[in-house]
Amino acid sequence: MNRRVAPAQIKAEKPVTAPPAPRATAHERPRVGAWREHHSRSFRTSLQRLTARPGATALTLLVMSLALCLPFLLWLLLDNARALGGHLDDARGIGVFLKPEVDSAAAKSLAETLRQRADVADVVIKTPEEGLAEFRSQSGFADALKVLQSNPLPTVLIVTPKIATAPTRGAPPIVDELARDKHVDQVQYDALWRQRLDAILAFTARLAGVLAVLLGLAALLVVGNTVRNDIAGRAEEISVMQLLGADRAFVRRPFLYTGLWYGALAGLCALILIGVVEIALSAPLGQLTSSYGGRFAIHGLSIVQALALLGASIVLGWLGAWIATTRQLSFGHPQ
Amino acid sequence: MIRFEQVSKKYASGQEALTDLSFELAAGEMAFVAGHSGAGKSTLLRLVALMDRPTRGQITVNGQNFAKTKARHVPRVRRGVGMVFQDHRLLMDRSVFDNVALPLEIAGCTREEIGKRVRAALDKVGLLAREASAPVTLSTGEQQRVGIARAIVGKPPVLIADEPTGNLDPMLSAEIMKLFAEFEQVGTAVLVASHDLNLIKRMGKRVLVLDHGKLIDDFRPATAKAEVPA
Ligand SMILES: Nc1ncnc2c1ncn2[C@@H]1O[C@H](COP(=O)(O)OP(=O)(O)O)[C@@H](O)[C@H]1O
Ligand SMILES: [Mg+2]
Repeated sequence: MNRRVAPAQIKAEKPVTAPPAPRATAHERPRVGAWREHHSRSFRTSLQRLTARPGATALTLLVMSLALCLPFLLWLLLDNARALGGHLDDARGIGVFLKPEVDSAAAKSLAETLRQRADVADVVIKTPEEGLAEFRSQSGFADALKVLQSNPLPTVLIVTPKIATAPTRGAPPIVDELARDKHVDQVQYDALWRQRLDAILAFTARLAGVLAVLLGLAALLVVGNTVRNDIAGRAEEISVMQLLGADRAFVRRPFLYTGLWYGALAGLCALILIGVVEIALSAPLGQLTSSYGGRFAIHGLSIVQALALLGASIVLGWLGAWIATTRQLSFGHPQ
Repeated sequence: MIRFEQVSKKYASGQEALTDLSFELAAGEMAFVAGHSGAGKSTLLRLVALMDRPTRGQITVNGQNFAKTKARHVPRVRRGVGMVFQDHRLLMDRSVFDNVALPLEIAGCTREEIGKRVRAALDKVGLLAREASAPVTLSTGEQQRVGIARAIVGKPPVLIADEPTGNLDPMLSAEIMKLFAEFEQVGTAVLVASHDLNLIKRMGKRVLVLDHGKLIDDFRPATAKAEVPA
């Protein structure tokens, strides 16, 4: 039997072959091999779709990665502040600055009286000469100190209170008593400062946690909104696929991979951003650490933290796409 | 293959599109659904494709009783019904090959299987040479034939077409209709809606005539199958 064709289609003319093939099974259950193929195809085409709209993709990635890297930067800051605080652990001592007119004999006798007290573990005398030497070796102000004609430092007693008697909050009573002593110019109790630092660190940690949740939510919304637009732009394609018998999972798959890609790429961008911030801050931070005699070093993001960021980002991207597809794709009756 | 038993469809607007409709179409049988515009032809086909549910009555397609078909089984039922649309609804950002391959991808066929079957389907509609083309580069008639290839590539037991020649000139229309008639010979139940009575009569197939949602005639034209004018 010869089919006639329109003139425009003469080139395609050929005897109709189409043998009556055996009743096939296209309307049966999808098979595993094909299922895997569809996954890998969705994986690739979703990336192609992202690169097809570089402007919109870059904007989404920028917003997402900013939202991701802010809490991580705060955590990083916190980690370093804790490390710094750790090096001030010896600050439990009470620094007692004696009045300039108090001579070394009077200082010794005061130290002896203090040693007798039940709530004092130890008293160390630092003469003005010792203080100056220590200051020279540590602070980096050696040149400036050379200008001084006389030693401006007073005698200092380092009083270590007994741990058992030291209250957990606030200063031990000896601090107040010392402050009232007629030989004493000033009492410096570092532990109080330490307690404040701990409180500030705890607050910052909570702040970082809250920010992480809020910004994570923002990242979720950004991906969700992008995928929602993507779905709206592909309404015809989606409805045709549904008419051809595509189920929920099939229609949704490419969009989930889109979310996955957004998450992975935004995670990488966030890591790069954090790296840039670290480089930008490394010079001033280097000066800060050297002023502590190089006793502690600034540390950046560890491999584990970097992987955690990437993982969180991927999960957020996928989740955002999942929510958008759930809300946006009606699986009822396409037109 | 397709059985309607006292099917009525009333839209939410209150419009009764089909009233008490009963008919049966066997495997390997082809029928036209004729009638004026608004007679309910599209509504009938939408019910066959499970794009909508009847208000009353029973519909059975491929042995599947639609009244008992849950929403999550709708996709599986649709895979057994090939659909051709008046405006073909090809995806313009994919090649001809990828358009025709779509139902097989959905059905879960492997790449090599898809390659073989897509080429067989394109061969059948005479467009094998255009598999790599973009649909926009094809003529309207060619686009409609790609739409047909997509509908039949999965070898569905039921093939439905809503005004498939609505946008084509008479010669191309006859060409397309003859193509549909070929699938009947492979054992497919074919249901084609059209308001072109002249064309329908020339085809010499069974005709279901709708009028304001009612089946007013079910006949086979006595006229012998006429030659398609060149
Ligand atoms: N989605 C709808 N909602 C309300 N009324 C509809 C809808 N679709 C079709 N109709 C009405 O149902 C009747 C049959 O329509 P249709 O099946 O499209 O007829 P045909 O395809 O024969 O032209 C018409 O009166 C039409 O206005
Ligand atoms: Mg219609």
